Amino acid sequence: MDPFLVWLESSALSEWVTGSPSMLAFPGILALHAIGMALAAGLAAVLDLRLLGVARGVPLVEFRRFQPVLWGGFWLNAVSGVLLLVGYPTKALTNPVFYLKLLLIAVAMVIYVRIDRLIRGGDATAPAAARTLRRLAITSLVCWGGAITAGRLLAYTYQRLRA
Amino acid sequence: MLHAAQIWLVAAIESHSPVATLMQTAWAWPIVESLHFVGLCLLVGAIGSFDLRLLGVARRVPIASMHRLIPWGIAGFALNVSTGLLFVLTEPDQYIYNVSFHLKLLFLAIAGVNASLFYATSYRQVFGTAPRLDAPRRAKTIALVSLCAWMIVIVCGRMITFYRPGPCVGERGVLLTCEPD
Repeated sequence: MDPFLVWLESSALSEWVTGSPSMLAFPGILALHAIGMALAAGLAAVLDLRLLGVARGVPLVEFRRFQPVLWGGFWLNAVSGVLLLVGYPTKALTNPVFYLKLLLIAVAMVIYVRIDRLIRGGDATAPAAARTLRRLAITSLVCWGGAITAGRLLAYTYQRLRA
Repeated sequence: MLHAAQIWLVAAIESHSPVATLMQTAWAWPIVESLHFVGLCLLVGAIGSFDLRLLGVARRVPIASMHRLIPWGIAGFALNVSTGLLFVLTEPDQYIYNVSFHLKLLFLAIAGVNASLFYATSYRQVFGTAPRLDAPRRAKTIALVSLCAWMIVIVCGRMITFYRPGPCVGERGVLLTCEPD
């Protein structure tokens, strides 16, 4: 894998992300990554709380109106995350915590899509569905908390910074 | 005078910080940072979605029902004040002389005053006996200011690490943004 990492780290984009003195480069991308996290994890968490009994007066189907914001946050972070990865590929790809973070996000998003499908199906209030939804909500909260923690720990757990 | 206050504050915290020893253990700082991010998500999730509702998203939902989320946003805020204080009490100079931290506090204050304005001006129209589904114009402005202020707070918070204070040389501004000797 090393030749690939060396090649990626010497690419113009990677050098811009890590080397540019512009505040829009590395610092700006990090700031966008934090905003995307707040939107995606924040709105997912609010939906989970609703499923666990908070703000029962809000019909579940109406929560679907916030879906574009959640996906907006997700894609913002997919793009800013890829840019950060191009900046420091060795740092992330040689750290198991990075793969754990990706796995937790993937599980959280799959759960979100499942929850959304159950809500759209209209049978979310049936006792069996309600129980499934509660279980999904708890798992989702755990995954997002884990993904956020794993992400923060990347700054402390890497073994190699560059190839 | 503001400079003297900053220097005094840093010295006061440094001479007597009850949490510094705890925060300097191997994993305390990263764990508290993670909690700070979790609190941020809770805050933006709850307060941001309420703001969006005021602005007209999911307009069939009664605003009062949506407002039930706000205590969770306040819980996120409380978590972040507590965890944030742990950082400041451990490395006071890194924050009290940091221009990005100054801006963060400014926009936190704006978000706070703005939120109080919402309750002062729009409470009756939104929560009264004949609540409106479409928020009054003023409430929409407040919601927009709230969203912008919180986003700026996040950006300033994330930028703190890029504006670490160096030793003071030459002219000093209204607030110290460098380490005095």
